[in-house]
Amino acid sequence: MIEITDFSFRYREGASPVVSDVNLRIPEGTFVGITGAAGSGKSTLTYAMNGIIPHCYPGDFYGSVRIDGLDTCEASLTDISRLVGSVCQDIDSQMVSSVVEDEVLYGLENFGVPREEVEPRLVEALNAMGIADLRHRSIAGLSGGQKQKVAIASVIALKPRVLMLDEPTAELDPASSEAVFQLLEAYVRQSGATVVVVEQKIALLSRYADLMLIVDAGRIRFSGTPAEVLAHADELLEIGVNCPRSTTLANRLRERGLYAGDVVRNVDGAVAAVKEVLA
Amino acid sequence: MNGFLEYVPGDSFLHHMNPVAKLAAAFLLVIACFATSSFVVLALVIALDAFLALRCNMVRQTLGLARAVAAFSLLLALIAILFTPKGAVLVALPWGYIGTESIVAAVRIVVRLVACAVPLFLVFYVTKLTDMANAMCKVLHVPYKYAFTFTSTVRFIPVFMNDMAAIMEAQTARGVEFDGSFARKVRLMVPLCVPLLVSSVRKTNSAAIAAEVRGFNLRTRESGYKEYPLGGIDAAAVAASVVAVALGIAANVVGLL
Repeated sequence: MIEITDFSFRYREGASPVVSDVNLRIPEGTFVGITGAAGSGKSTLTYAMNGIIPHCYPGDFYGSVRIDGLDTCEASLTDISRLVGSVCQDIDSQMVSSVVEDEVLYGLENFGVPREEVEPRLVEALNAMGIADLRHRSIAGLSGGQKQKVAIASVIALKPRVLMLDEPTAELDPASSEAVFQLLEAYVRQSGATVVVVEQKIALLSRYADLMLIVDAGRIRFSGTPAEVLAHADELLEIGVNCPRSTTLANRLRERGLYAGDVVRNVDGAVAAVKEVLA
Repeated sequence: MNGFLEYVPGDSFLHHMNPVAKLAAAFLLVIACFATSSFVVLALVIALDAFLALRCNMVRQTLGLARAVAAFSLLLALIAILFTPKGAVLVALPWGYIGTESIVAAVRIVVRLVACAVPLFLVFYVTKLTDMANAMCKVLHVPYKYAFTFTSTVRFIPVFMNDMAAIMEAQTARGVEFDGSFARKVRLMVPLCVPLLVSSVRKTNSAAIAAEVRGFNLRTRESGYKEYPLGGIDAAAVAASVVAVALGIAANVVGLL
């Protein structure tokens, strides 16, 4: 679905490339989690995948980025947007309407969705995000988590084949963050769409992502399933990425020769590992 | 009220009117206020303002707005007093005099600005900006990008006001004292315009990108899902506003106070 070949990018005002030599293939229906230290190039990578680079941020673009065969340099941003739905980091700036219903309608109207499909899609998107009761509410009166769900609903109503989210849980508490990831996972499984999430909360990514990418200094340092990536706990720490505490606990047990099982990436796994040690 | 110029949900007849009719009626009332010198007509418009505020359940907010507009217009009134030497001489000045008519002109400025500001502000508070943009597109055939630009400008006013308040709070937390004279406050606020400008440009850029990735460039007049038919209440409101303009002009002609 997404094919990135020898991609490098330097912002026009930047001295050096922010992203370098990225090669990546993401199959359709994959839940991809991208993480890395601040300033490592995560957001730039997603901008390349949703066409914002090079269409909105000019600079030196090398290599190619293709979405379902569509070259992002050759296609217009509008054409790319038909395939890729994006939820930006700054949710307040993304809102174009004062009421939830109008916000979800905005994209549907722009893309010329047939009239008879508009209402069902609106209802479906609001239900999928669990915010049907907010339909007529003013956006100014919503909490950060509710706004985040409205932003996601307004994009999934367009039924994009790729959904791209930049730090969707940045302003959310742990329970709301978990809820957003559960909704995204359900969306991937039901729609077969590809979801790419940039996220700092690695514990969440490791639980939900099929494919994890660790970006360091503009390059993809590790790529694979969460278990494969978390096996490099010490190297991750060196580049400013903390592993989930459950993983760290199991790794310490492994270092002392007490545990020899698989990489642990959640509390249940840690409990099983500790039971094995105590047995 | 949520914030300055932010939509206030409600069920009044003003909420249900066609956005274009609301705008047209408000602008006609503004014309009526500026076309007349009659205090009687201006008082009628203020009475209408009070009625509308009552129906929208926004009396307290409207009074606050009227106070703010009156305070602002005092500056213009002062200029009128000092530089409109008319009527019987009350105070002699080196460049002229303050006359009885100068005082009347000053009072008229304040009353006129309060009378014409209220309907315009009420329209923004009782109309969703998206409805305003869509109706301007569908009914007036205004190109969507211009309608969107207009409504986005209005939408960003409270956002930037909140940003300014946040910057001032941050400065206060670091020891800056904004209390004191108006001049001192202005002097302290000027440097804060730089971070405000930076954050404003950033937000505007993000909003433009967000709109573009949701098909902004594909939007046409037919794209809007909602329809905005003109009803009887819309026709009545516009007709009443036309009558107000005619009344204002007629009052001038007959010399009504």
